[in-house]
Amino acid sequence: MSGVIQGGEEFVIAAYAVTAAVLSAYAASIYFRLRAEKRRASREEGR
Amino acid sequence: MSPRSRQWLAPALVVVGAALVCAGSAWGLFKAPPEVFMGEVQRIMYVHVPTAWNAMLALSFAFGCALAFLLTGDWKWDNRLEAALEMGVVLSLLLCMQGAIWAKPTWGVWWDWDPRLTTTAVRVLAVGAIPALRAFGEVPGRRAVWSAVACVIAFADVPIVYFSVKWWNSLHQAQSTPETVSSAFHWPLRINAFGILFLWTGLVALRARLSALRLREETAPPPPAEAAAATPAQGAW
Repeated sequence: MSGVIQGGEEFVIAAYAVTAAVLSAYAASIYFRLRAEKRRASREEGR
Repeated sequence: MSPRSRQWLAPALVVVGAALVCAGSAWGLFKAPPEVFMGEVQRIMYVHVPTAWNAMLALSFAFGCALAFLLTGDWKWDNRLEAALEMGVVLSLLLCMQGAIWAKPTWGVWWDWDPRLTTTAVRVLAVGAIPALRAFGEVPGRRAVWSAVACVIAFADVPIVYFSVKWWNSLHQAQSTPETVSSAFHWPLRINAFGILFLWTGLVALRARLSALRLREETAPPPPAEAAAATPAQGAW
């Protein structure tokens, strides 16, 4: 036992993938929710 | 600043933030040296630590918005509070996921009820409950006041999370700052910290716009036809 962690690249890849997925999904959710709300608001104004 | 340039500021912050996070992550993954004891696994620090700092910042901003709303009653602070709370929950959940992935190869377990992790879990639940319960509040004024008060109370856990590694004997290492890590690791940490900062400020600005539109819909007077139908005719009772 050297006291040094060997390998572990799969954990590094997983951490970066989770970060990218969560931040991208949240950004996309805001984009789609905002677009839907703007459309609804412009429909209401058009009435 | 003109309204048109303000319109583009939030998306621009998101794009700059995403570019910085990509650059910082590439530096952390391919250019920075591996750590002496943790080897390659330590590269998780370049996303985990900036996420922790920014989760704390987003929740501090939410706390400021809650106080500003309680003091001024201005609706823009309620919109920003809703946006910042949601962002704080997303970043706190992400922090727990990254932490679990780092814990497995270093501690041998995905999760441990150590002071730092336990107080962070309490924070996720306490702060996460506020946007969830807001969805059920139908009276905007009452909803805004109680969620601001709940945010002020829940914020008490933020400094507890930060100091937990100093106050108690924690399995989690002490806070990572430029003073406590090697200078070889500074740049990817700083770039990712500013990247996530720009990203969340842009997203919070966009999310606050969404809240403002929803609030306008909730508080708008009903169209004349609907109002007439809702009003009972004279002598109807």
